[in-house]
Amino acid sequence: MDPWLLITILLGFAMAWAIGANDAANSMSTAVGAKAITPKQAVVIAGVLEFTGAYFFGKSVTETIRKGILDPSGITDPNVLIYGSIAALLAATIWLIIATKFGLPVSTTHSIIGGIAGYGIVYAGMSIVNWGKMAQVVLSWILSPIVGAIMAYIVFKALTRSIFMSRNPVKSARVWSPFWIGLAFVVIGTMFYIKVLHGKDLKAGVLFYGIPAGFFVFLITYALIRLRFPINDPYIGVESIFRRVQVVTSGYVALAHGANDVANAIGPVAVVYAVASMGMAGMKVPVPRWILALGGLGIAVGVATYGYRVMETVGKKITELTNTRGFTIDFSAATVVLFASWLGMPISTTHTVVGAVVGIGLARGIKAINTSILKDIVISWFVTVPVAGLISAVIFKVLMLVG
Amino acid sequence: MQVWTKLFAKSPFKPLIKHAEVVIQTVETLEKALQAWHDGNTEEMERLAIEVDRLEDVADRIKEEIRDSLSSKLMMAVSREDVLIYLHMQDKVADSAEDTAKWLLVKKSVDVPAEIKDVILQMGRESIKAAKLVYEAIVQMDRVIESGFSEKEIAREYELIHAIEDVEKVIDDLDTKLMRLVFENSDRLDWGTGFCILNIARTVSNISDKAKDAAERIRLMMNK
Repeated sequence: MDPWLLITILLGFAMAWAIGANDAANSMSTAVGAKAITPKQAVVIAGVLEFTGAYFFGKSVTETIRKGILDPSGITDPNVLIYGSIAALLAATIWLIIATKFGLPVSTTHSIIGGIAGYGIVYAGMSIVNWGKMAQVVLSWILSPIVGAIMAYIVFKALTRSIFMSRNPVKSARVWSPFWIGLAFVVIGTMFYIKVLHGKDLKAGVLFYGIPAGFFVFLITYALIRLRFPINDPYIGVESIFRRVQVVTSGYVALAHGANDVANAIGPVAVVYAVASMGMAGMKVPVPRWILALGGLGIAVGVATYGYRVMETVGKKITELTNTRGFTIDFSAATVVLFASWLGMPISTTHTVVGAVVGIGLARGIKAINTSILKDIVISWFVTVPVAGLISAVIFKVLMLVG
Repeated sequence: MQVWTKLFAKSPFKPLIKHAEVVIQTVETLEKALQAWHDGNTEEMERLAIEVDRLEDVADRIKEEIRDSLSSKLMMAVSREDVLIYLHMQDKVADSAEDTAKWLLVKKSVDVPAEIKDVILQMGRESIKAAKLVYEAIVQMDRVIESGFSEKEIAREYELIHAIEDVEKVIDDLDTKLMRLVFENSDRLDWGTGFCILNIARTVSNISDKAKDAAERIRLMMNK
């Protein structure tokens, strides 16, 4: 095997590990914080579902990042792609570590795109970057918290209308919570049709896969939700129902996160593999399944080895979150992320989740949100891409000189 | 990971409820002090009045903590200003109880006609109701938010607000009755005793006045 390919695989795995250790743990923390599941259970659920998401649903985003940002026809030397990919991966990982130290809510997606643009510019100047695509990508980052907020606002309003404002909230929760889970499975079923069966017809996907899957899951969930204890307080009853529901939706988040974020780690690996196996990356190179599996495995290992600790600390710190709110965040963020990943947009899971929290805040659903985090997010937009790009450029230069 | 730890700030409602609990204790202790005063048990009255002062200090400390935690960078379900003013009013309930205790201590033994003492004691008892209702109202406000401002919970909150207003009215009437009594008995009272009684009455009726102001603020919280 090509030694450079081996190095890239190792780096890609390391990046996947970092994603698993931090981001993936994040995706489960609403459930842990709301005491729906223990950190141990969260590790198992997250590990399995992140892998499933990455392996089955992970493909199209991978290609977008790989092909979209740089114009491949501008790179004639295959070594450039290899060094560049390594530089991008390394830069993103380094920046993630730095940012984590300073507590900036950076996105792995932003970091890797910055890294790719960085080496591209050093190699062939500004013109190699597909700026139209770049603008689209940047727009999708700005949109991700906004869409997350709008989605969560609507979901939360619908939730309070249908459950809290009804005459018997517990009874309504028994009917409506399976409905929301069913809805999540409509999305998952449709994704399955598109991603795994490579179906082309969205309508057929929704009709024959999404809706049946959703309906089936609705019936099962409805049958499963039984209240085994007398409840005097309707809100405690509703929350206890949603505590169970949240186990499912946090899994939904893990699935969406795996599908979306695995690309950040394995995109560059796929490029190097294409170069190593075919001499040069063409316009369209399918991402081999084993690379997706590698990414999924890396994330799962990251969750298992380090994510446990993250979930435990984060879970302790967000005790203010109730189950209905946690559910709303999970459901909205995962749905937005899955849709975006289906559209091939490199959306940021972290920022979508933050957007969802603010959305519920706007609906007056959360008692106190620290808005200083919003400032941090905006800063991270402006900082992450250039800094990751700069680090990547330096590494790339060194590799070109050494290699 | 940091994004989470920073995102969720502590809800001010739990400490507000805690503060309300201390306010109830303060008013209840004052009522006991009034009872002792009524029965002529000066020693016991003194001990209780000092306890009222101590409890008011505890309430003050909780108030400071809540104020410090309410940064202007918080996005809250109710406006920060409403929470701060509400807290101020709730704290004033305890303050008024402390003022009464002070008057009890200033003029320890007063020779007051029994019917006047009865009215004052009755005012003290009603004040406990007001403090307890304020506590219930802030607990209910927490539920209103928890339910996503459901109409049912808002209606329940309005009931509590009306109940506070009713108590305030009862105490107001007692206050008027007391003033009349003081002047009817003016020839039997020296000026110092009369002055003391009127001030005790004024400070006790302040308790429910401030409770009403706090309730008014909760009304505003729901209206936003």
